Amino acid sequence: MKAKHLFPLLTAVTPLFFTGCATDAHYVQTGDKEQIISLGQINIQDYATAASLAVQKLLATSAIDKVSAPPALIEISRIINNTSQQVDTDLLTKKISIALLQSGRAVTKSVDEKAAGYVQENAFLNDQKNTRLPDFTLSGKIIETVDQAGDTRRTTYSFQLSLNDTRAGYQVWEDEEQIGKQGTRATVGF
Amino acid sequence: MKMSSCQVLALALGVVALAGCSTPMVNSVENTPKAGQAYIINDKRVITDSSLGRSVAIVAVNTATTPAGFLRAQVELKNHTFFRQSFLYRFEWFDASGMQVNNIVSANLSDQLEGGESKFISGIAPTPDCKDFRVKFISGN
Repeated sequence: MKAKHLFPLLTAVTPLFFTGCATDAHYVQTGDKEQIISLGQINIQDYATAASLAVQKLLATSAIDKVSAPPALIEISRIINNTSQQVDTDLLTKKISIALLQSGRAVTKSVDEKAAGYVQENAFLNDQKNTRLPDFTLSGKIIETVDQAGDTRRTTYSFQLSLNDTRAGYQVWEDEEQIGKQGTRATVGF
Repeated sequence: MKMSSCQVLALALGVVALAGCSTPMVNSVENTPKAGQAYIINDKRVITDSSLGRSVAIVAVNTATTPAGFLRAQVELKNHTFFRQSFLYRFEWFDASGMQVNNIVSANLSDQLEGGESKFISGIAPTPDCKDFRVKFISGN
């Protein structure tokens, strides 16, 4: 094929490739088959996976049932971020507190300032000297480790969680979920 | 029988391609007879992807209840092919009225099976009211 024929053919075919790759905006389900997998950051489905697996283990344990006045009162404590990115740890902890509340086995301590004010006011009006203290705190850490060989990069995010007994000071439940991703670049589809 | 250079090249490329696709097969060993007794339940299977049905084949489903009264379900899977299969799965839970209860325990989770590998996946009901469940599988390939 002569070069003068090749140029118009390429000109005609090239837009077809771009048209084939383009996708119109559409709603997606979190964690679906079309999910975007990034190597250098925690994706929304990574939080969902870590929270789902952790909640299942938390619901399977009887540790949260060993309180004097069920359901257990849990305060969501600090989740230390040891990754290279800024993360909102509520993406992890909120999913866990929703599941705990829905299970009926635990309630989480409110962080709403107005609610805290009303608690104090109620205690004063009813002459209560002691308000209920949390039975447990939920703390944790997110750790990022990166390994590289040539262009291939493996990033592992470790989500560590601990349920701490506030009376004895013991950790009554612990869990670690690891989410590993490997490749040379971000991709669509798992 | 002599092969043309094109046939030799095609054969070589085929071997290279197969080597690239092959994944480690999995051998295993386990105790027998079993000390534990799994409560294997009857199940209803709907297979719309027959290829996935072979690479993520459902062997058995068993259930148990936690001390707090939460239903747990475990599914044994086996990959009957020589190739690694990635897949998404999710547990859906239903209360005594047949209404679906949604929360984070029903998230889509990704997993994979090496060639010939058997694996267990499990889920726990989000509330003690959940009495039934369904597990969905989607191919990752």
